[in-house]
Amino acid sequence: MSPNIIINEEKCVGCRICQLWCSYIHKKVFIPSEAYIQVKNVYDLNPKISFLDGCTNCGQCVEYCLYGALTLKEVED
Amino acid sequence: MEWNGYTGNILNVDLTRNKISIIKENLEDIKQFIGGIGINCKLAAELIKPGIDPLSEENVIIIGTGPMVGTITPGASRVVGISKFPASGAIANSCGSMSFGFHLKQAGFDHVIISGKAEKAVYLEILDDHVELCNATDIWGKDIVETTDRLWKKHDGSCGVIAIGQAGENLVKGALTLIDKTSTFGRGGLGAIMGSKKLKAIVSKGTKGVSIADPKEFNKLYKKLIERIRNYPHRKSWIDLGMLRSLPIGMLLSMKGQKKKARQCSDRVYLKKLKKRRIACPSCPMADKDILEIKEGKYDGLIHYTSSVINPFMMMTLDSLNTYDETINAFDLINRYGLDSLTITTLFQFLNDMNDKGILSKSDMGFEWKCDYNTLIKLIEMIAFRKGFGDILAEGWKKLADMNETMATEMLVVKGLDVVFEPRLLRLGTMEFEQVVNPKGAHVASGGSPTYVSSGGSMERFKTHFRRMGIPELAFNKIFTPPRKEMGINVGRLTRYSEDWYTVLTSTGICARAQMNRFWSLESITAFYNAITGFDLIQEDLRKAAERVWNLLKIMNMKEGFSRKDDKFPKEWFKPLKFGDNELNFQDFYGSTTITTEIANQLLDDYYDERGWDKINGQPTLEKIKELKLEKYL
Repeated sequence: MSPNIIINEEKCVGCRICQLWCSYIHKKVFIPSEAYIQVKNVYDLNPKISFLDGCTNCGQCVEYCLYGALTLKEVED
Repeated sequence: MEWNGYTGNILNVDLTRNKISIIKENLEDIKQFIGGIGINCKLAAELIKPGIDPLSEENVIIIGTGPMVGTITPGASRVVGISKFPASGAIANSCGSMSFGFHLKQAGFDHVIISGKAEKAVYLEILDDHVELCNATDIWGKDIVETTDRLWKKHDGSCGVIAIGQAGENLVKGALTLIDKTSTFGRGGLGAIMGSKKLKAIVSKGTKGVSIADPKEFNKLYKKLIERIRNYPHRKSWIDLGMLRSLPIGMLLSMKGQKKKARQCSDRVYLKKLKKRRIACPSCPMADKDILEIKEGKYDGLIHYTSSVINPFMMMTLDSLNTYDETINAFDLINRYGLDSLTITTLFQFLNDMNDKGILSKSDMGFEWKCDYNTLIKLIEMIAFRKGFGDILAEGWKKLADMNETMATEMLVVKGLDVVFEPRLLRLGTMEFEQVVNPKGAHVASGGSPTYVSSGGSMERFKTHFRRMGIPELAFNKIFTPPRKEMGINVGRLTRYSEDWYTVLTSTGICARAQMNRFWSLESITAFYNAITGFDLIQEDLRKAAERVWNLLKIMNMKEGFSRKDDKFPKEWFKPLKFGDNELNFQDFYGSTTITTEIANQLLDDYYDERGWDKINGQPTLEKIKELKLEKYL
């Protein structure tokens, strides 16, 4: 789980940039099947985004999502 | 050797013998032909024997991707198919997108060769090392949407699917395929070739990953490029409207005096009444593919996938279509059957004109012609299932031309493929000129840059694009020397470089659409290519490889009997086009000069000259072939 990230699946376009970047940062290879963020039913009417165990909340997927499907929760002091 | 970017593997599938093997790629071939369209051409030159029937067992399909596909490189998801196409009889490439190439790379393959013919209907499943020809009896006869949905369901909604519909199964010569039921792939008959091989679909899904050679350099290049794209001021409007932003069909209809109809395909109708979800190809930061939904009326609830809403909207230029929902429904049917909407549109208009002129009648067609929606639907069904007169139409334009000399003269066709972009409406840019010289026939994509980016632009703006595309400075003067001074640019000479640029993009795997290709230059492609592969190429290497690829494509078609006699401007272009109350003439890019046959021939001469080809036969000279080290393919 990634408690710091808000998912807005309606904005997801299925580009897989989040998966590609996550796997590249953490596994050094473009291997989306092993990314800690997974997008299922990519071209369906209702895509599903989830985070797998091992996600470090690094926020890199949020930084590189260009469509607003992932945003960081604001942390209160 | 250790491959980066590339997988180093070509999958070899023999349908006749149900035999699957892997061919290891050769580094020298890679450096000569790069990948994608380039390696496709090299393999086709070795495997497709001249003179074969495109729909025979002897024909071969090669589908390939480039070294950037499967990585995060922006817009790198292209997949290219080559074969001998039945509509034109030419050996030609076709390009598509969505997720097939991405999954193919992830499964560990750069290219797939498909030869022979299956005994019974099959589909090819490529799941990493598990490659299998599966029984397709239960999906044979289904349309593309249903076929794709079934295969997606089998693979948890995450695989790339190339599928044919009933038109491909029935060997309609213009039948194409769809990738992920969205991206058209194989205009000119790839669907019929798959049908002739009893190959219903190809599925790819991979989990192997794609490695790169120099992560540090790649990070630097990627971050710089993606920030530039993210901050592009027009990015939001591109994503909101997609290709509708670049080709507002409503404007064309207004010009035709059809304002009411223009409102049916306006931005507002698209955004409020049709747009369901924007989707993107893998790695694309400029998402522009559409899921549409009709939300009211007779077709309420219809969901339709398309590579752009402009595709159905372009059909509204037909007088038989008046509302957006009827148009989407007709277009949906065309896609499900695996027909080509561009061809159906041109054909319907042509048959209407021929009926008006009394050249075709009920006795020829077997029914009373009406320019209405029901006749369009009837025609689509007749062609897809080869019913009645549809059986003749399914044979393509050449068959119609053989029926009657007037029809042969008046059809807007080059080498058996109908014209997509009408230069009397859009003027003569590289895209329009490419339709005359492309070995495949009237194909536009490879002639896109830069005139669609730089529409009506200044010379200085052109120069910026020329430099971006890697056109040598030494060529600038000749490009700015057209047959008549007032024409400004020589479209014949420029088209050579447009083709080469397209070849660089499609060899590496980058999308050629304007909204993506505009961010790339030969310099940045070379830098990404080297960071990904670990090679040390210079821009000139890529430029030369592109030239080599295009010449090889031409050599293959030379051996099929094509020459300058086939690079023909349709005769109708030289007559005015009645468009509403307007009469439009065939004009140059800036609208300063009416193009005569003399000017058109001069532009052809200039195109061949810029390519270093023989002007008389329009073919590569022996000197050029030797320079490009292509002698062994003669």
